[in-house]
Amino acid sequence: MHSAAGGAGRTRPADVRLSKFSPLPRVLYFDDFDEGMNGWCELVGNHTGNLDEIRPIAKDFRPPQLSSCTFFDIGTHGSVDGTYALKLATRPRANHSAVAIKRMTYAARGLVQFEAYLTFKSEPVMAGDRGWDGNQAPSERLFGEFTLSNDICVGETGPRCHGVIRYRNTDADGSLVQRWIRPTSVEPTTKMDRLGLVKGGARQDFFSLRPEDWVAVRGGRQPLCFNETASKVNWHYVRWLFDTSRLRSLEFQCNDMRLDLRDVIVPTYQEPYRGISNLLNLYVAVRTHANVRNFLYLDSVVVSVDW
Amino acid sequence: MLRRSFTAVLEKGSTFDGDFATEPYEAGWALEARWFVNVLRADDGLELSFVPQVSPDGSRWCDAGEEAMRLCGAGLASLPMRNFGSWLRLDARLAGTPGSATLIIYLALKG
Repeated sequence: MHSAAGGAGRTRPADVRLSKFSPLPRVLYFDDFDEGMNGWCELVGNHTGNLDEIRPIAKDFRPPQLSSCTFFDIGTHGSVDGTYALKLATRPRANHSAVAIKRMTYAARGLVQFEAYLTFKSEPVMAGDRGWDGNQAPSERLFGEFTLSNDICVGETGPRCHGVIRYRNTDADGSLVQRWIRPTSVEPTTKMDRLGLVKGGARQDFFSLRPEDWVAVRGGRQPLCFNETASKVNWHYVRWLFDTSRLRSLEFQCNDMRLDLRDVIVPTYQEPYRGISNLLNLYVAVRTHANVRNFLYLDSVVVSVDW
Repeated sequence: MLRRSFTAVLEKGSTFDGDFATEPYEAGWALEARWFVNVLRADDGLELSFVPQVSPDGSRWCDAGEEAMRLCGAGLASLPMRNFGSWLRLDARLAGTPGSATLIIYLALKG
């Protein structure tokens, strides 16, 4: 397994901004959002040119933004190095999601590693104290969850699957969960939606067939650093290693927590796919459980491979 | 280095039958912006006006001072902006004969 450990013997990268990452031998892309969107764009559901054909859950994933992390109380917070971060913002409507995607194809099967510095926030609301004790942030309970997903199709016809990991900060009633979870069903396709196979109604989940199709990752409880106030931005390191040869995730790391995912079954579509040969997409997503905008910020992303 | 540009689609074939505002969009990196409103369909007699607004924090808004963009019926209109704060949105007001309109709203940014 790849080790993220640094140390005296480690080769110093040519670009010092890479020194806070632990990439595999070939960096496929290094996206510093001080330099632009770098190809991260809004995910949209399938259609044939008629926007009315897009299934509702996949019609409004919102355009990503280049954010200076500016707030009403302190002004500009800025990103880890520089000014801008990629920001995903939901609407202020319960169960709404924002999803951004970067689309690639693979030149060989093998290890792929996603690394990022990211953070999450709910929009500052002026709604009073909700039992504020002076320290813990009431707005922490207004943030729902964020999700990382890949989308892999092997060769011309598959198999196709999505490796997915989600940080559930709160459940639908606003109670803190603070746990990494994973889906037990496939991400619904447009065809499955048209066949009526997708369930959930108002709680429909873009990443699973039914809203309840999620289980905790063993050892995955991890209160992250929301830091007391909606305008305090603390960045978190995440590293996710997966193997397109075995169609498995291998390891997920967030700060000092590492999860062994090698034995986790990745839900895989039963039918062959055409038109997405050698697909290697990555998504980032945020979902609100309340009528409050939720934000996911990414300072920078490195995706590397062992090809 | 080439200048950056980015086009955000803030409404994608959405139908409205009353006043609304677009979602806040951060544009502090851009030097110039241009709104495009593509009215795909509108009921007869419905008068649409779009007022560009700015915000220092994404929460509180004021009119940017530009002339409102007005549309009756299907068609495309645009409105340029410069010297704005970090957030932009369009405040849309529906008047005339009550009805609905289906819109695509683009925000094209360069910086």
